[in-house]
Amino acid sequence: MKIEEIKDLLISKTVNGYELKEDQDSYGNPSIWLILKDRLEIVHVAEVIKACMGRCIVATAYKNEEDNTHTVIYHFDIEGLIVNTEIKTDNKETIAITPILSSANWAEREMREMYGVEPVGHPDNSRLFLDPSLVKGVLNEYISLSKMSLGVSETDILWADVNKGIKR
Amino acid sequence: MSQRIDIGPFHPELEESVYFRLNADEDRTVTAVEIINGFIHRGMESLVTKKNFMQNLILTERVCSLCSNQHPFAYALAVEKISGVKIPPRGEALRIIADEVKRVASDMFNLGMLTHLAHEHELMKDTMETREHMQDLKETIWGNRMDMSANQLTGVKYDLNETKIKFILETLAIAEPKIRDLQDRYESDESLRSKTIGIGILPKDKALELGVTGPVARGSGINNDVRIMAPYSLFSTDEKLKPRVTLRDGCDVHSRAMARFGDILEAVRIIKYVVNTLPEGDTYVEKRPHIPAGEAVVRIEAPRGELIYYLKTDGSQKPVRMRWKVPTFTNWEALKVMILGDKVDNVTMILNSIDPCISCTER
Repeated sequence: MKIEEIKDLLISKTVNGYELKEDQDSYGNPSIWLILKDRLEIVHVAEVIKACMGRCIVATAYKNEEDNTHTVIYHFDIEGLIVNTEIKTDNKETIAITPILSSANWAEREMREMYGVEPVGHPDNSRLFLDPSLVKGVLNEYISLSKMSLGVSETDILWADVNKGIKR
Repeated sequence: MSQRIDIGPFHPELEESVYFRLNADEDRTVTAVEIINGFIHRGMESLVTKKNFMQNLILTERVCSLCSNQHPFAYALAVEKISGVKIPPRGEALRIIADEVKRVASDMFNLGMLTHLAHEHELMKDTMETREHMQDLKETIWGNRMDMSANQLTGVKYDLNETKIKFILETLAIAEPKIRDLQDRYESDESLRSKTIGIGILPKDKALELGVTGPVARGSGINNDVRIMAPYSLFSTDEKLKPRVTLRDGCDVHSRAMARFGDILEAVRIIKYVVNTLPEGDTYVEKRPHIPAGEAVVRIEAPRGELIYYLKTDGSQKPVRMRWKVPTFTNWEALKVMILGDKVDNVTMILNSIDPCISCTER
């Protein structure tokens, strides 16, 4: 598929505003940057990627300290072309695209776990890497090694059994 | 009667820590799979935002040992993209040589593990002995058997002279016939074939749906090799360098192993070609790069498949955000498809067939 066709498809269903940029890496490989004003429209992008036989490579999330929002960038691939799609959320929620693109499964679960951004409608609510007793969004803030070694926990589940053992 | 079987998180047949919770019927056929991860999570994506760009070159090389060269390579590409630095052709060529040597050693290690798990000890011994030539090469040229420290921001840290080039070519002249012989034996050995063909099936449509990459994709007939689909470095300028990818349609453990042999032999060809046509000139740009505010997404083909780096900078000496995705991150989910309906006794061999890198995946 030609890059222009893909761009047309991507913006065809975007009604609430967008910014579209084209970029090239140092070796001439093009990529697309699509910034959506409405985070819910990520679903339409995922549908286009699926229709083009593309896949979700991964998603990057990070916290914007200045306005306490989160940015999520989905990195898609269509026949070697990277399509980066950026959305912003102010309530720590996005719409999960895993029901459309299975390849987004782990990326969305990791986003929930590391940055506390909930992909609403994700089919798998289990933890990916971290123990369920640890708080969601551990990468949102700096956590000292001493605190981390005691378990960044909302409860005392992690150490309750250990303490029980000591008391015995 | 259904039985519950646990494998891991620590087990002699697992390279790294992962925990399989299986349900099996009376024939020991797997009826349910649960995979529990997180035993090697180190929070590296947080750590890199506390280190400066030079320190992160060291850190990325330590994400994993088997593909340790690929991480700093991709990271350097991301920094260079934001800085607008173009590295000299000799530097590009030297990067490719280091990367492909690492690919051969990594893939051969995986094949050695496969034969170990299949209890084909003679084949395993010969595979690991052949791999040892690449280890000797790494130790002689780069001074280390695993972390090569070949890359730096704006180029490479090492150079080749005539003596070293001769040594590389002589080593490959010894190793290549042995690799071809091993390829024939893996292809024709009845005992190994009976243990690997039809095992751990990943149909092409499921492979496409899950977005698997590398030899796992190639073993299911899909070519998404980054060196071809989005060529970087010398792969973007020299057609002769582009790998002739081996695609297999068996979709099983054997197909993935044979796809790896194709990768290994192509890597040997690429190393020989680049060494014989090594451009003259500098190996790096001497001026220290200014790294302005910006964003970059780059990717390369690691031994296990696509490795992608995202980097966001704000003009300071540290990244604002750095994210990377290794092939196992997506290939792992395919394990559920491969294992379900197969025998419990094959589970660790199926896991090995995706060449899992858990340190990379969990970071």
